[in-house]
Amino acid sequence: MSRYVIQRFLGMLAVMFVVVTIVFIIVRIAPGDPAAVMLGPDATAQDVASLRARLGLDQPLIVQYGIFFGQLLQGDLGESIFLNRPVLSALADRAEPTFFLTLFSIFIAGLIAIPVGILSAYWRGSLFDQVSTTLAMLAASVPSFWLGLLLIQFFAVRLGIFPVSGYGGPGASLATRLSHLVLPALSLGIVSSALILRFTRASMLDVLNDDYVRTARSKGMGEFRVVMKHAFKNALIPVLTVIGLTAALLVSGAVVTETVFGLPGVGNLVVSAVLRRDYPVIQGALLIVAALYVLINFLIDMLYLLVDPRVRY
Amino acid sequence: MRIKEVLLSSLVILGSGPVLAQSGGVINVATIGEPPTLDPMVSTADLVGIVTQHFFETLFTFDKDWKVTPLLAASMPEVTDGGKVYTIKLRDGIKFHDGSDMTSEDVVASLKRWMEQGSRGKQVAGNVDKLEAVDPSTVRLTLKTPYAPLLALLAFNNSAAVIMPAEKMDVPMKDPVGTGPYKLKERKPDQYIQLVRNEAYKPLEGAGNGYGGARKPILDEIRFVPVPDPNTRVEGAISGQFDYVDSLPVEAYDRIKNLQTSKPVILKPFGWPVFVMNTKQGVMANVDARMAVRLSLSMEDMLAAAFGNPEFYSLDGAMYPKGYVWNSDAGVEGRYNVADPDKAKALLKKANYSGGPLRILTSRQYEFHYKMAQVAAEYLKQAGFAVDLQVVDWATLTQRRGDPALWDIYITHSPFLPEPALIGQLSESSPGWWSSPERKKAVDAFNTESDPQKRPALWAQVQKVIYDETPSVKIGDFNALSAQSPKLEGVVPAPWPYFWNVSVKK
Repeated sequence: MSRYVIQRFLGMLAVMFVVVTIVFIIVRIAPGDPAAVMLGPDATAQDVASLRARLGLDQPLIVQYGIFFGQLLQGDLGESIFLNRPVLSALADRAEPTFFLTLFSIFIAGLIAIPVGILSAYWRGSLFDQVSTTLAMLAASVPSFWLGLLLIQFFAVRLGIFPVSGYGGPGASLATRLSHLVLPALSLGIVSSALILRFTRASMLDVLNDDYVRTARSKGMGEFRVVMKHAFKNALIPVLTVIGLTAALLVSGAVVTETVFGLPGVGNLVVSAVLRRDYPVIQGALLIVAALYVLINFLIDMLYLLVDPRVRY
Repeated sequence: MRIKEVLLSSLVILGSGPVLAQSGGVINVATIGEPPTLDPMVSTADLVGIVTQHFFETLFTFDKDWKVTPLLAASMPEVTDGGKVYTIKLRDGIKFHDGSDMTSEDVVASLKRWMEQGSRGKQVAGNVDKLEAVDPSTVRLTLKTPYAPLLALLAFNNSAAVIMPAEKMDVPMKDPVGTGPYKLKERKPDQYIQLVRNEAYKPLEGAGNGYGGARKPILDEIRFVPVPDPNTRVEGAISGQFDYVDSLPVEAYDRIKNLQTSKPVILKPFGWPVFVMNTKQGVMANVDARMAVRLSLSMEDMLAAAFGNPEFYSLDGAMYPKGYVWNSDAGVEGRYNVADPDKAKALLKKANYSGGPLRILTSRQYEFHYKMAQVAAEYLKQAGFAVDLQVVDWATLTQRRGDPALWDIYITHSPFLPEPALIGQLSESSPGWWSSPERKKAVDAFNTESDPQKRPALWAQVQKVIYDETPSVKIGDFNALSAQSPKLEGVVPAPWPYFWNVSVKK
């Protein structure tokens, strides 16, 4: 078992090294220049060149990579060109809204998807099943920004019960800040629920036909216990995987929703950084997101070890 | 709690200096995004100017008629030696936000930083012979040759010659300390920029006059909140979450015109979209080919596609609209909104156009640029151009336009700048690289004439050369739409909105 864990851990490091290198190259070969953005539309070419030199962007790529990698090994993601502060501290500042947004979205998605998925599978082919799978398809097809705007129009503009955008002003309490997350979390939760629902339904359909379910029923066990204790417990592995991956996706993929709702989260930071070509922030954010992905995958693998002993061998 | 805060702040104001009868209030201003920097010297971005003008000030500024007027200077400068020596007296008793007094040493240090770091400052630097502090309240600037745009450049809030304490000259700026009516309290990037009233601020006497006159810090706080999505800004205005919402899509006008929570603020006219030509190399290096572009276009269709509602645009070939001292029709007749493919084809033949791609760089970050580009592409195709429309993001556009090998036309826009010499495309080093004997003669004559009475005629001559040589094509005038809460009083529509002299109706 420990050999399996070490293997997976080393694999994780190798993936991170490849990600670091690819991120560095992609960011540098993309057109656009942070110096030109910072100096504004009327800056001359000479101004841009001198700022590029000051930022070290005139150095050969391999030299820039060496500096970047050396800093990374010391846990330093560099300094943001526009924010004049370390990338890690800028990211840490943005972690709160993104963390809570992800948490709430997953909670809402799970709350919708798991019961509906279970019931859809249980009543396979019924009107409930057909309506819920159609709605799931609709939710999966709706762009989250569009859904976000609809929610804003209804809940913020018409009913006035939630703020339109932002994350509270100076000195806003945690409750006020969290109230700004309700609509974006609802928007992301609805969209994310579609995938989880379909996985839950498919996974439940698999296990509901298994022998042990039949055996449980033949023992005279109540339907609720059969479904929840025997079937759902075994259907949980793929559902857990998809919830984990959705959470990782939300950390990085809430970009559009955070922009629409003006939330100062990691996604918004990445969008601003891309538009301004703030290389250290783009690199840092992508690395953290990639690390989260790799880590979540690693944790899911470890979870498999606990849930399914066959994986160990 | 709220009442207590208001009462407390009122007491503080009553006990300290100028009594502002209606002072108080906190406003939230939705902006188009987060400013790339808070150093107004180094950036020409409008958003930087909008925010920083509340805490940084320049020696001069512009009044409502766009005339230069003193701000930190005590009066207009004494200009001697044929327009080469500017002696500037400073106002007494001006304090920086850190409590220190502003002296001529601070002004000299700031202007030197501006000439080293600011793109507009560098424009001036080459012509400056000497900059010195004559006494603690007087500064003298000696030029090599007379340079008429100097005062406008010193007054402009964009790449601005702001005055900071001499010991705060770090690059990049570490500590934004100015003299303005508001102080920077906190900046949380992508969340808010919080400004609080500068209690020690002494406004000029009298009333406000454009950016000049008295700047009274009536509000307790101004919070600039970035809302990058235009649709969310519209909803923010409709819901009343923001007291002022900058830069709304014009399509939103019908939705906000009859609301109780917000009312439209229209700045008429705001600016002009422009097609800038690469005169250095490629298809547009030929003046006949450039003229063919000009004559092939229907500005009317382009503006209609870009802005829709005729309330928000007008056909106007003059570089400055009526109402500006610079308005002139020199060179315009028969060369604006012509849409004549036959004439354009004849010119293309004269230019020996080989059918190579006409690369038009545009961005959807400004949707109206893209819409105009789409219409223009069809007219240009009718004239015989092989159009290659390249749609990129704004950062890519600003980088690519620096390389003459990569493009033939790029699309941008500008507000009507108070001084024509500030128009970027007039400079030989600006992307487009317009350089010709006629340009030099006309622009030099305009830049070195310091008599304000003679300058409009010289600008008309520059405009004529622009039409003759077509380094760029002005498409028309457009208006800007913003929204404000009906509770706000004293908001003056302005290209760079400001909130001194603004109060909240109780």
